[in-house]
Amino acid sequence: MDKVTLITVIVFAYLAVTLGVGLAAGRRASRSVQGYVAGDRDFGLLVMYFITGATVFSAFAFLGGPGWAYSRGAAAFYILTYGVLGMAPWYVMGPRVAALGRRFGFVTQAQLLVGRFPSPGLSALMALLTLAAFVPYVTIQMRGAGIVIEAVTGGRVPLAAGAAIAYAVVLVYVLASGVSAVGWTNTFQGVFMLVIAWALGIYLPTRLYGGVGPMFEQILAERPELLSLPGLTGSGEPWGWGAYSTAILASAIGVTMWPHLFMKAYTARSDTIIRRTVILFPTFQLFLIPVFLIGFAGVLFPESPDQADFILPFLILRSDLPALVVGLFCAGALSASMSTGDALLHGAASVVVEDGVQPFRKLSDRGQRLLMRILVVAVGGLAYLFALVEGFSLVDLLLASYGIICQYMPAMLAALYWRRATTAGVISGLLAGSAVSVFFFLSPELKPLGMHEGILGLIVHIPVLLAVSLRGTPQDDDHVDGYLRV
Amino acid sequence: MPLRTWRRITWAYHLIFAAAVTWPFQTLVNTPDPLVLGLPRQMAWAAGWVVGSLVVLWRLDAARTRHERSGPLPPGGDG
Repeated sequence: MDKVTLITVIVFAYLAVTLGVGLAAGRRASRSVQGYVAGDRDFGLLVMYFITGATVFSAFAFLGGPGWAYSRGAAAFYILTYGVLGMAPWYVMGPRVAALGRRFGFVTQAQLLVGRFPSPGLSALMALLTLAAFVPYVTIQMRGAGIVIEAVTGGRVPLAAGAAIAYAVVLVYVLASGVSAVGWTNTFQGVFMLVIAWALGIYLPTRLYGGVGPMFEQILAERPELLSLPGLTGSGEPWGWGAYSTAILASAIGVTMWPHLFMKAYTARSDTIIRRTVILFPTFQLFLIPVFLIGFAGVLFPESPDQADFILPFLILRSDLPALVVGLFCAGALSASMSTGDALLHGAASVVVEDGVQPFRKLSDRGQRLLMRILVVAVGGLAYLFALVEGFSLVDLLLASYGIICQYMPAMLAALYWRRATTAGVISGLLAGSAVSVFFFLSPELKPLGMHEGILGLIVHIPVLLAVSLRGTPQDDDHVDGYLRV
Repeated sequence: MPLRTWRRITWAYHLIFAAAVTWPFQTLVNTPDPLVLGLPRQMAWAAGWVVGSLVVLWRLDAARTRHERSGPLPPGGDG
């Protein structure tokens, strides 16, 4: 068997196992909206650990992480810190969100917010913002899968076909089994990602430089600017401390507010499981160390790829590795892409139905599940079309959506902890914060100290939320007690 | 140590963590050498704080479990 055939066999074997795991998972869940969206609130520690870790680490981390280390050096270290900083408050917030989900039957993030601050407009706004943030995110995952398959099969399977095959598998198991499939496939894919990243992260520096330490000593001698914080920008200029520090803060604030992650609080069997997932999350975060090592291994490599994000497949194909290793790498990268893509497709469909349709037109339980499945296909199809368009600036759209997603945090804190918050205050804050964030995203030259637009949005958002709430009539005590006394 | 103390330690740890990896405190640790376990010093610094978070949260959870066994939780939320 020649090398490309063997790699293709390994990739297809991986896809077959993933499909099997996904379909088998659905046999456990009930045929209800709670079963499809929240897994009957019955996920254990193992699945919660991997669903959180594998969903956070996407194709963007697996391909973009090495790309950042390779082209921007120490700037990439910000990715290492923010996840844990963002996840730690979830130790307190997560069980509270889960308790409210059990009390009121919530399965989405907006349902909680709209439950405390009744407004169909707020529900529709969140459904719209979520969809706008998810489509580019899914598209990036699909392109990542297509790029990897095209690269390792030497172009025999082009990007369009590679993305289509990988996501056809995702569609089948998400359609059939809902969040249970997402949970169990993420467990399988998470193990794969961790093993492959650590193996390659140690192997490549050892093979190319004789070890991790010798690699950094050589980089320090030849490219010292790469190892000094805050690193470089994408174009190779020094990055600013304002941008570096606020990137950490904005990402930390935003990480648990992504609806597809937030909603997973409703899937846990118990509060203890949510807390243990938070405690164990740093072990997943450390997976970025080998990911960066792979990127740094490319720094002094004699050739360079067309785009920094391709450094990982580029090195793999030029390091004369055995076909088995290349095939497993490909499966690892597909795991990263698919484990985030499936959660996003499932999340987008659930949010649109529960928050965008249900408040305006009540559907039966069966009708909701049918519409969710139609939307999984529709969102997948839309993202696939975008994935085929070259030069579409999706990363920019994704970064803009991060600015908006972190505006959810003050609203959520107000819903969970602040008695005096009002519906008008929350909506005004969200609109003002999002507008400021989008404004600075579109006019980056006006940003003070190069700060992240999400943080600039929060600087306006929080005073608006406080001022409008304090000027308005307080909410009824009994209503507020339902949310604050958990 | 009582649960209340562990809660305070956890909050304080993560606030110091956030300060330690951003401006201006990160500028105090901004030379890559000497390498720590083969890694640049700033990378090892960030990784060290991540590992520390695991330890602090684990201790908090242990204190919480002990407390749950011995009676109702003290006021101050569920953390």
